[in-house]
Amino acid sequence: MTDVVADPRPLLAVLASALAIALIIASHRRPNIREAWSVVAAVTKFAIIASMLPGVLDGTEYRWSMGDLVGGIEFALRADALGMIFATLASLLWIFTAFYATGYMRGLDEHAQTRFFAAFAASLSTAVGVAFAENLVTIFVFYELLSVATYPLVAHDEDPEARAAGRKYVAYTFFGGGVLVLAGTALVFVLTGSTTFGQTGAALANADPALAKAAFALLATGFGVKAGLMPLHSWLPDAMVAPTPVSGLLHAVAVVKSGVFGIARLVLEVYGPERIAQFGLGLPLAVVAAFTLTAASVIALRQDRLKRRLAYSTVSQLSYIVLGLALVGPALSDSQALKYVIWGGLLHIPAHAFMKLTLFFCAGFIHVETHTDYISEMDGIGKRMPLTMVAFAVASAGMAGIPLVAGFVSKWFLLIGSVQADQAIFAVVLLISGVLNIAYFWPIVYGAFFESHDEADSKPLVEGRFGGGPAEENVAADGGHEDGDHADNHHHGGPGPDGWERVGWTGQEGSWLMLGPILLIASGAVVLGLIPYEVGFLELIELVAEEVSA
Amino acid sequence: MSDLLLGLLIVLPLLGSTLSLGLGLVRERVGWWVATLVLAVEAGLASWVAYVIYVGGDRLVHVLGGETFGRKSITVGGETTNFTVGIELVGDALSGLVVVLVAGVALAALAYMRRAGPRGNAFYTVYLIMTGGLMGVALTGDLFNLFVFLEIVGLATYALIAAGRGPEAAVASLKYLVVGTTGASMYLIGVGYVFLETGALNMVDVSRSLAGDAPWFDGALYSEPLVVAAFGFVAVGLATKSAIFPLHTWQPGAYAEAPDAVTVYISALASTSAAYAFARITWLVFTPEFFAVNRRLLEVVLLLAGASVVAGSVIAAMQQRLKRTFAYSSVAQFGLVFLGICVAVHPAATEEATKFAVYGTVIHLIGHAVIKGGLFATAGALAAGEGARTLSEIAGLARRRPFISGSLTVLGLSLVGVPPSVGFVGKWYIGVGAVGANLWPVVVVIFASTVLSLLYIAQILEKLYFTPEATEVDLQDVEPIAADGGRSLSYGMAGVGVTAAVVAVALGFGGAQLASLLDPVWRAVVDSAPEVIA
Amino acid sequence: MIDLLTTRYTYVLFAALLVVGLYIVIASSNLVKKVIGLNIFQTAIFLFFVSAAYIEGGASPVIHGEGGPYASPLPQVIVLTAIVVGVALTAVALALVVRIYSEYGTLDEQTLREVRADE
Repeated sequence: MTDVVADPRPLLAVLASALAIALIIASHRRPNIREAWSVVAAVTKFAIIASMLPGVLDGTEYRWSMGDLVGGIEFALRADALGMIFATLASLLWIFTAFYATGYMRGLDEHAQTRFFAAFAASLSTAVGVAFAENLVTIFVFYELLSVATYPLVAHDEDPEARAAGRKYVAYTFFGGGVLVLAGTALVFVLTGSTTFGQTGAALANADPALAKAAFALLATGFGVKAGLMPLHSWLPDAMVAPTPVSGLLHAVAVVKSGVFGIARLVLEVYGPERIAQFGLGLPLAVVAAFTLTAASVIALRQDRLKRRLAYSTVSQLSYIVLGLALVGPALSDSQALKYVIWGGLLHIPAHAFMKLTLFFCAGFIHVETHTDYISEMDGIGKRMPLTMVAFAVASAGMAGIPLVAGFVSKWFLLIGSVQADQAIFAVVLLISGVLNIAYFWPIVYGAFFESHDEADSKPLVEGRFGGGPAEENVAADGGHEDGDHADNHHHGGPGPDGWERVGWTGQEGSWLMLGPILLIASGAVVLGLIPYEVGFLELIELVAEEVSA
Repeated sequence: MSDLLLGLLIVLPLLGSTLSLGLGLVRERVGWWVATLVLAVEAGLASWVAYVIYVGGDRLVHVLGGETFGRKSITVGGETTNFTVGIELVGDALSGLVVVLVAGVALAALAYMRRAGPRGNAFYTVYLIMTGGLMGVALTGDLFNLFVFLEIVGLATYALIAAGRGPEAAVASLKYLVVGTTGASMYLIGVGYVFLETGALNMVDVSRSLAGDAPWFDGALYSEPLVVAAFGFVAVGLATKSAIFPLHTWQPGAYAEAPDAVTVYISALASTSAAYAFARITWLVFTPEFFAVNRRLLEVVLLLAGASVVAGSVIAAMQQRLKRTFAYSSVAQFGLVFLGICVAVHPAATEEATKFAVYGTVIHLIGHAVIKGGLFATAGALAAGEGARTLSEIAGLARRRPFISGSLTVLGLSLVGVPPSVGFVGKWYIGVGAVGANLWPVVVVIFASTVLSLLYIAQILEKLYFTPEATEVDLQDVEPIAADGGRSLSYGMAGVGVTAAVVAVALGFGGAQLASLLDPVWRAVVDSAPEVIA
Repeated sequence: MIDLLTTRYTYVLFAALLVVGLYIVIASSNLVKKVIGLNIFQTAIFLFFVSAAYIEGGASPVIHGEGGPYASPLPQVIVLTAIVVGVALTAVALALVVRIYSEYGTLDEQTLREVRADE
């Protein structure tokens, strides 16, 4: 059905931003040119990937091999439907992030901007490599390089907190990648003699069940580290010390989704639904995902620092995707249910990306403009940053699964899929999580627009005995923001002594370099909620589902 | 004709060493030029030999001493067999890569030494002797001759280490001498036992005799106590020389106290040559058939090698001085190499598993030499350029030394096993081999080694890039490091690190091609054949 | 036991010398004595090779099974080479010892450690 065409475009898509690294470093003395390279690379990359989209939708796959990497395993990239979902998403959102990051880094007058933009380009390069990787070894190559490329971004601040977060990040991701994924890959290779996606299923069916299960556990856990599956999620909230564009594009889209994407490849193509059902692997994974998505939501309730709350929300939302994928096992007997869980799970990849990127960009924008990081200081902020908070409200509505926004569609498919697969318990979990989503997003929106700083309600969950997350005893909101002291910026957020100043609805709240991307991506989330099929994502997902069930 | 090259490879550096000394009587500071000239020719010869071996598919054999010696056929009790008289040099698919490695590293280290010193013609004399010895270790096909070459390498190494200015170097060197000689003597005992049992020293003949192929043996000698003990002594001796835990005690001091340029050279080659010798003897002399009978023995070595991986990495992470960190890291990496050697001949290994373990062992051996030589070169360059030798002193130096720091990063990550790099390729093959042999504890150690090496590499990178620079005052207290007292860096010194980084990555892409060169080797191992024939 | 002592006494001597040498290397804190121990250790091995050549039933190269006993020439050659290596080693070792003594003024390992710790 699909014909494979030799075409260098998958490689070019990876190289576009890799080349940009060199250009960015070379022009480190000229910031304008340096940032221009980021934008040029982002646009080029997206153009290359988009040019493959029509072909892929027609059932063509573009493949480029660079010869054997290790004996019997090619270093090959292939743009197929599943890979295109991730690659299109990451490269499209990078364009917006390139602008936003420029605004953010300049707004804060950050140090080491060259390193930042270079590492950012490297991260995107490897993320697309993950998307197009044709086999487990190739995906491992990019998966590890992604860990390496993002480390400088996490440790960017160069202070003890950032270093500690960086250390944790490296330890977790390398344990997941270099140890577990590599071991699982080796096991699959020995069991089947191949690591190419889609060609290992038959051999695995006849392999020693204990080893086949062990390989699945290793790979799922290894990818699960980056996907934030509990209990291996704790690097993600800590990694929020990174500048917000990083938290946004990488720790809500590219990096974490590379983990989820790895699980998708593993479930749908390395094992395939039949083997998942045969070995009974779906249910345990689904239980882990269900636990993660509830527990993370509950923890999110207690976070006062906006970025940490968003991080836990990410942990929770990623598990929606994993849940959808895990349910392919139980749903195997019912082709309709199988289709729906795959649709729901995979559609949540772009849906969550658009929504969470909006939320993070809003958080970063608030930080740049007002140096406010804590939710308890944000009451009445709707006056100061009206458009931003509207975008925030839209995106959080989507997170909660309210119709017309992207999150609704994917959740709906997940719900009906799990009910049809006779796993109604997971539908209940999804609904509970939806309620929790409202519980942790709504107070922010409500506080922003309907309260003022002086007469805000108390927030028992945050302040109380059980709340507050890691107790950061600096919630005292006094004084405006001082300039020039960015390293220590959580102590002087909040409104000035006279409350928030009022700013109009025409965009005077800050730089358009940042506001523009926020509004565009928020609109994107709505568009994706209204016409998911027409924008291509659902069509790609249909192709994936057809191929998997074929 | 081309078999004469094998002898030339060994003789040329030895002759050069006398030339360096002789011309030194006439002119001072001629040593470096002589060494460069000799080793450039040597590198050319090595490439030629490699070409003949890998492209021509030949197994080169050269018998020292001319017509009188060589393979002679004799008839005993009606059966005709042949035995080697004299010393054979063998250039096959296994030794060819090592020859190229030695020639390449020797030349690269010279580029570093040009500025960094030590100077003096005597130094380059010893340097050339060591190169000749390393070639001998790589090429010899005779167990006792191997001992002689090991000792030549050893003697040269002791002298090179002691070429450091400080008395610390002399102490470290003496410690190495005592432990190293004991190790070499252990090896000699093992050879003696083998000789007593088989009456042969030629590796091929010993291997055949052990298998019971000669007509005067009733059958295989694998279960003879003397043969079993012989393997034990050989293993202990070569493990000492390769610095396998807990026989590694000489190594960190020796690497750390030696002059930086010498460390680059010996860290890349000294232990490597011993580990290569162990691989050759294990695979081609004792062969898997021996270990099918003596599985326990193999498992003891596996245990030590595994302990070496863990202990070496953990101790490396506790070091303050960069050179000591890298030295202990070698203990861990040679643990991996030994794991690979043993997995290849393990009775549980399938044909595929043996194949991958052989690939992995040799590639990791070569990869580690490139990586570790490069790492020591960057550490030396940081010391020479910035006076930074400890973790706290290198803080924030990445901004001032971007290329050296960049090379250190690439090499370090390669050591961790981040693809695409030679470190990953080696680890992958050894890991796949161990999985194929169902040796689960070994599998755990191999894959955990990623995180273990990350322990110390991440620490260094974090200091280098993400920690603010230490105050200037601290730097002034440090003694000037370069031999001539200057703090200047030459292109050669920086270039060695950069080149190593490039090679490490390039070999990562060429991993499959590199592995395919080793196909005759694994086939010989699988067949328990004593000769590697393409 | 008696049998072993009467017929294979050289091997017993080999083992005894080996252990004595190794013991000195490990236990003595005097650097020169360590070098002496190393020499004894190596001498034991030389003895082993030489005696192996003269033992009836020990295999010799090239010629096998036709009459005998033979004294194999090979071990002698080997030992000669090994002695040369050993002498070279001793020379290097003593050179290092001289250097250490001139720097630290001691040959005792213990004292040496203290002196180095003080610096």
